[in-house]
Order: sequence, then C-alpha cells, then structure tokens
Amino acid sequence: MQSTPHALRKGIGFGLKHVAYIAIAFIFVLPLWWAIVSSLRPNTEVFADIFPFTAKALIPSPFSLEAYQGVFDRGFGIIIANTMFVAIVTMIGGLIVNGMAGFAFAVFDFKGKNAILTLIIISFMLPFEAIALPLYTVTLQLGWLDNVAALIVPSVANGLAVFLFYQFFKEVPKDYLEAAKLDGANWFDVLVRIYVPLSIPTCISAGLLLFVFQWEAFLWPLLAMPSQQFKVIQVGMAAFQQQYQTIWNQLFAVSVITALIPIALLLPLQRYYVQGLASAGIKG
Amino acid sequence: MVRSKTPLFLLAVLLAPALVGLVVFRLYPIALAVSDSFFNMLRGNQVFVGLDNYVALFTDSAFWKSLQVTLWFNLLINPIQIALALGLALLYVQKFKGVAFYRVLFLIPIGVSLPTAVIIWRIMLSPDGLANGVLNIAGIPGQPWLTSESLALYSIIAIATWKGISYWMIFIIGGLQNISPEIYDAAKIDGARAWQRLVFITIPLLRPTLLFVLVADVSINFLLFAPIFMITQGGPADSTNVLMYEAFKSGFIFGDMGRAMAIIVVVVAILLVIVGLQFRLLNGKPEKK
Repeated sequence: MQSTPHALRKGIGFGLKHVAYIAIAFIFVLPLWWAIVSSLRPNTEVFADIFPFTAKALIPSPFSLEAYQGVFDRGFGIIIANTMFVAIVTMIGGLIVNGMAGFAFAVFDFKGKNAILTLIIISFMLPFEAIALPLYTVTLQLGWLDNVAALIVPSVANGLAVFLFYQFFKEVPKDYLEAAKLDGANWFDVLVRIYVPLSIPTCISAGLLLFVFQWEAFLWPLLAMPSQQFKVIQVGMAAFQQQYQTIWNQLFAVSVITALIPIALLLPLQRYYVQGLASAGIKG
Repeated sequence: MVRSKTPLFLLAVLLAPALVGLVVFRLYPIALAVSDSFFNMLRGNQVFVGLDNYVALFTDSAFWKSLQVTLWFNLLINPIQIALALGLALLYVQKFKGVAFYRVLFLIPIGVSLPTAVIIWRIMLSPDGLANGVLNIAGIPGQPWLTSESLALYSIIAIATWKGISYWMIFIIGGLQNISPEIYDAAKIDGARAWQRLVFITIPLLRPTLLFVLVADVSINFLLFAPIFMITQGGPADSTNVLMYEAFKSGFIFGDMGRAMAIIVVVVAILLVIVGLQFRLLNGKPEKK
C-alpha cells in the first residue's frame, strides 16, 4: 500500500493548487462579474441579496435590459462612436508614422542616431500625465482646444511604437534589401513589398497599444475638450457617474460596455499585446 | 553596401513626422512647463515673476501636506504592486492542465480601464456594496471605505493595484521566459528548495526586468490622477490630495496656471531623482570578475 498515500498527497496538492488559482482568479473576475450581473437587473434590485449576502447576488435575477436601453437613450452610442473614431485614426496614423521612423532607424546609419533613440526611449518612459497640463497650453497656442485634432494628433507619434518597429526591422536580414536594390526596386517598393508584409505581427502589437492608449485616455480628453461637445468614453463615463450617481444599473452597463470592447479585442490578440509589451520591457 | 549611400531626403521624410510629433507634443510641453512656472497671469497678461511661484509653493503647508500624501502613497503602492505582480507572474508561467484558463482570467483587468475599474469599485465599496456584504458573512461590520479619512487612500491603492498588477505581470513574464530552464534543473539537482530557487536564482536574474517595472510603475503612480479625481477629489480632509491632483486643482479649478506648472515641474523633478536613485541602487553590477 505504498502508492495510496502518495496518490492522496498528489491529489491534495492538485486540489490545493486549483483552490489557490481559483481564489486569485475570483478576485480578478468578481468585480467585473458583479458589474455584468448588476447591469442586467432593474435599478431597484442592484443591491438585493447583499445584506445578508447570498449567492443569488451573483446571478442576474430578476433579469432586465432596461439599463442598456437607458444608456443608449442618453446618447452613449455616440460616445462609443467618437472614441472608436479617435482610436482608429490614431492607430492608422500611428502605424504609418512610427513604422516609417522605426524603419529609418533600423535600416540607415546617420549621425546622432543613438542619441535620438535614447531620447525616444525616455519619451515613452515619461507618462503622458506628466505633460498633460503643459500640453494644454500647447493646444491653446495651436488653437485646437475643443477640436478633435487635439485628441488625435499629439498621440500619433509614440516612442514605444517607434521602438517596437525599430526592434523588429533591425532583425530583418539585410540580404533582402540588397537583393531588391539589385533588382532595381526603389525604396518605396522595398518598404511596402518586403518590410510591411513581414511586420504584420509588430503592426498588430503596436496597433493594439495605440488603440488601448486612446480607449483608456482620461486626463487628456478631460483637459483638451472643456466644452464636452465631443465626448470620448472614459470622460463620458466619469461625467455619467457624476450626473446619475444612483442609477446604479446604468453605471454598470456603461462600465461593462467600456470594458468589454477592449477585452474583446485583446483576448484573441493577447499574444501580440503581451509580446509587444514584454519585448519593450526587456530591451528598454 | 547600402549604408554608403544613405538617401538623405528619404531619411528626412521617414523620420520627420514621428520626430516632429515627439518634439512638439512631448519635449516642448516640458520646456513650456518650466518656463510657464516663472510667470503669473495678471489681468489677462503673463507677467514674469521669477521664482515667486516656487517660493509661494515651498511656504504653503497645503503643498507640503500634498507632497507627504504623494510620497506615502508611493511608498506603499509600488512595492505592493511589484511583489504581487511577481507572484502572479510565477503562477502564470506554471505548466499544468487547465492553466490556460486561469491565464485568461489573470489578464482580465488589462482590458478594464482605470476609470471603469473606479466606477465598479466605487459601487462595490459603497456602504451597501458587495465588499461590505461579503465581510458581513464573516461578522465584520461595514466600513466607510471611500469616505473615511483613515481608509480612502488605502482603498485607492487597492483599486489601482487590482487594475495594475496584470499589466506589470506581463513584463515579468517576459523576463521569466528569458531565464534558461537548465539553471533551475541544475539547482534542483543540487537540492535547492523552491523558495531558495526564487531568492537566489529567479530574483537576481530578473533584476533588469524588475528595475524596468519599478521605474515604469513609480512613474505612473507618481502621476496617478483618475481615481482621485473620480472618487475623492483629494478628500476627505486632503487625505488623498496627491500632487498631481493639487496641480490640476490649481490650474483648472482656481485658474492659477503658474502654480500648477510649478507643481508639475517639482513632481517631475522628484520623479527623476527617484528614478535616478533606483538605477544607481539596483543597476550596479555585483563587484566580481
């Protein structure tokens, strides 16, 4: 009977491991889960089943879609569309601008290259919040206050994205380039026909970074759009919170929509996002 | 050789958009913050006041209180976040059947923006909310998580940590995957226990990654804004009034841009000193050949 205690110990170890993982996963999932459940209840029922706490608090019953109807009646659809517009334009512009710069750093040698690269790395280590207040003054000087350009243009050039493209293009064998040049291809052809198709994974990583950056932007749109004619999602959500403090189920519905859109993007593409960030961390 | 004839015009076209963007929207604002901190608005005119904004700041007890809150907040939140992110990363890289499912769940807060996390947690931590409900099972009375002077700052730390650690975990996973498994195998043969492998192999080899995460995390937390703006507005009794919020309040509520810029300059200067110290202390290679 030597195997039984061993199997038992293994079984207990297995069980304990899963209990630990479930407990941690629970902490991550619970707030979002409760938000989803509560957004699917009528407002009067949001705090039901909590005092005393029962498991019923974690299922959407009674079920109701009134919260989602409510937030779209209050114009939340336009806010989502605004944010999508800002995020997608920034993403496309950012891929082109930062991809070109990354290509130039990787392929050409020129004076001051290392100094500029160091500056770029510093620029992405310094959080956007540090420059948000003075950037407001820049926006005033440009006359862009309350203009969508103020949300998009300052976010297009992104040091981290330049760095990701630079890292990737540096690894592309120079033979490709030499061969193409011998065949008489011009630089534009080389870039578009060889480098761009190779760099699709980097484009996805950098594109996700740019998209998520704009989707999550809060302080900057708050300062740059003082009249709130054009609202983006995080600011719209915060304003919603101040205005409708006790319409709990609609607050939850707004939060769920705001969270689920990037999650729906990130889950299938998590590999690229994780790789993009991790390589920046290792080499940066 | 391609390099012998770098086409300068092409180079300029490729680099200009990104470099102009970074100079105008990253570097220039920093210079502007410094220069604006020497000016004040007087009847619609910018008047040069020299160091007056800084003198006023350093003789203002509200500023010192705010600095104290900022430093205390960062002294707590950064070690907590990094320790938890490291623990989470170690769990993430384990290999067993079903771990893929947990990995997805660990990544969920990355998709939840900080303002979203704030809204959800604010309701969870309200007097009738889920947190007090769960504590009630254990017989613990409800707590005023967000409205009490002694708890509000710690509740904000908890919310930002919930949101933040998955993100930092990703960087640490990258570092862990760079450690060759043979080192662990060798240590196992030598009879090193799990905690010994962690302290003597994993953490030293992770040092560059941990340094990067520490610097990036401190930079973000030093300038944390959204939770304070959305939940406490610096209160109760200024207990959560970090410098970033104090700067926002000066510039955008009281219209004193000179003071706001002076605070920003001080915050960034302190941040640079802290980051410099971190590099000095943690990047020094062990003194052996």
